[in-house]
Amino acid sequence: MTGVPRAVGVLLAIAATVGLSRASSTPFSPHGEQAVLRLAWTARPERIEDCRQRSDEELQKLPAHMRQSIACAGTTATYRLEVRWNDEVILQQSVRGGGLRHDRPLYLFRDIRLPPGDGTIVVQFARVESVPASTHRENSSDERDEGRQSMAMNDARRRRELEERTRGREEAIPPSLSLERRLHLASRKVVLVTYDAERRDLVVIDGSH
Amino acid sequence: MLRTIERLALRLLAVTDAAANRLYSARLNPLYQSGTIVVVLYLSLVATGLWLILFYRVGAPWESVARLTANPWIGTWVRALHRYASDAAVVATLVHAFRMFAQGRSWGARALAWVSGGLLAFLLLLCGWTGYVLVWDTFGERLAIEGARMFDALPFLSEPLARTFTGERPVPSVFFFVTLFAHIGIPLGMGVVFWLHIKRLERPVLLPPRALAWASIACLTAVSIASPLVMAPRANAFALPEVIPSDVFFAFWMPVTGRLSGGTALALLTAGVIAFLVLPAFTKRGADDKPLPSVVDEDICTGCFQCSRDCPYGAIQMIERANRRSLLVAHVDPDLCVSCGICAGSCAPMGVGPPGRTGRDQLAQIQTFLASPARRPGEIVAVCCAHGAAAYRSALAAEGAATYATDCAGNLHTSSIEMLLRGGAGGVLVLTCPPRDCWNREGPKWLTERVYHDREAELQARVDRARVRIVPVAAGECREAVLAFREFLADVSRLALPMRDRSVAIEAECERTPVGDRA
Repeated sequence: MTGVPRAVGVLLAIAATVGLSRASSTPFSPHGEQAVLRLAWTARPERIEDCRQRSDEELQKLPAHMRQSIACAGTTATYRLEVRWNDEVILQQSVRGGGLRHDRPLYLFRDIRLPPGDGTIVVQFARVESVPASTHRENSSDERDEGRQSMAMNDARRRRELEERTRGREEAIPPSLSLERRLHLASRKVVLVTYDAERRDLVVIDGSH
Repeated sequence: MLRTIERLALRLLAVTDAAANRLYSARLNPLYQSGTIVVVLYLSLVATGLWLILFYRVGAPWESVARLTANPWIGTWVRALHRYASDAAVVATLVHAFRMFAQGRSWGARALAWVSGGLLAFLLLLCGWTGYVLVWDTFGERLAIEGARMFDALPFLSEPLARTFTGERPVPSVFFFVTLFAHIGIPLGMGVVFWLHIKRLERPVLLPPRALAWASIACLTAVSIASPLVMAPRANAFALPEVIPSDVFFAFWMPVTGRLSGGTALALLTAGVIAFLVLPAFTKRGADDKPLPSVVDEDICTGCFQCSRDCPYGAIQMIERANRRSLLVAHVDPDLCVSCGICAGSCAPMGVGPPGRTGRDQLAQIQTFLASPARRPGEIVAVCCAHGAAAYRSALAAEGAATYATDCAGNLHTSSIEMLLRGGAGGVLVLTCPPRDCWNREGPKWLTERVYHDREAELQARVDRARVRIVPVAAGECREAVLAFREFLADVSRLALPMRDRSVAIEAECERTPVGDRA
């Protein structure tokens, strides 16, 4: 091998390595100038149930650790999400709980690209089923009867069951949520609309805090 | 279709190999050493990675990396070297895969190496992915979001992973801890897959020549110092960066998948990986075209172990023989045999080899070759490997050479060389592939050992070595082969004209003699 090919080889190796380092940091512009309205929240959907009081005989037949005075059968609610930007519908979507039986918490995560500027955002998230699930449950004659004494369960156990059902109801997302807000969408900025479980309402976060 | 692509790829490979041989010599040709270069890069990645991990904090990922990157003594160049070495590993892996595909070394007994190689490439990309996420800059965030979108298409997690990056709450430290765990664990898993990758090879070459290894590291270190990394902005869920400094080696898919839904992107990537892994099923030769595995003639086998030692794929085992004087006999595992024929070249009594290519078959073919009226006394016979020099037989013939093709230099029995010389050839020039580019791994090595270093099935001492020459030339090196031929011709022409010598009957020496009848 003479000197010239060797020199060319060295130069080529250097050029290849420099090319490699350049390709390692190639500028990539995936976003353009648009802003993003991000809808992201997680919440427990309401249960739509038909509940009844179990009799003492029924409870006696169950293993001790499986005894619950109220037996409920039902499903979880379906919600309708609609988003309007300056009175124009930009998203309509049906939302259900996760899992095959839709009994897991519902998750929402959508990025909507919008032109930068000022506008009014309206987000409506409402239960589709007309049956007022929580009201139905509270009004259930059997459930109203849950103070009835049962020989099969002691008071502490009955109280715990009641507390669990109450907590489940309180943790569920309200049947209807609505948000209307004037927003400034800056170029390549993200505005997040999420559900605040403590306030039980939709809130806007723009990352400025 | 794939076979056409394979042929085109082979042509491209011949041109690039020849060019690289001219620049770097066949011994240091990085294209031949692509697989071993990946190992060197892997070792450098482990070394630099162990250093970097000392400074990484899962509670403050971007800040800790930024602090490290700002330090010119301990951080900047080490991090750059870590990154560039991983990029180079991707390139070298691609070159290696391309070579194996072009040379048809992906199917049959080599399918395991192909599939495990595909897995290694996938793990390398996955490891790079986790590495970039650990930095938690805009590029890392983008990779994390893309990965989460695809991962969420699978019904694994109770809560979508993508919600971690919405900005609703800070990304938890546990995410970086798990990512770091994966970034360390994946290379360990690669070690296991690498063992599978080379499992079917005997005497695997793991490292390139030292000069090439150090040159590779030196080039990367130099560019790491000369072109240090610049920290990209910290990931921010509420700001979309105008420009993301993307690494094309690890994120080449991102411009495409970014426009697709998570499920579609995942399906596309999965289909790509599967297509790569099952490629051997489409490129393998049909029943008519498929080379047959070696067979052993148990009546001839002396149980000497030589074929078992020389087989580059560990396809020959010595097993106990019943009712014979010799305790052992060679046994070929057809599932491991790639039909290279190296065993045929290693067997002195010519009792093993692929059908039609055993030592005895070679002698018969050479008898026919010598009987041709075209043969002239004293002419040079150029024995060309079918995978290399056979491509320019006509150019050699134009120079006056009598050309004779062999499937692999290692397949050529030394008795064939002797027979050519005794048959009146002035000299025998064996044009092998460069040793690191032998399709059967060790053909040129064993032939050289047999001709010059008395390895079993050696070229007999009575043969004049001045009339035999072994020259490695690649498929694209026609000019070099012609020059080698001219040089050999000039050297041989200074020797006295050979006489046809039939006094030693090579065929008779290798007469089929049952082992049990031998004294």
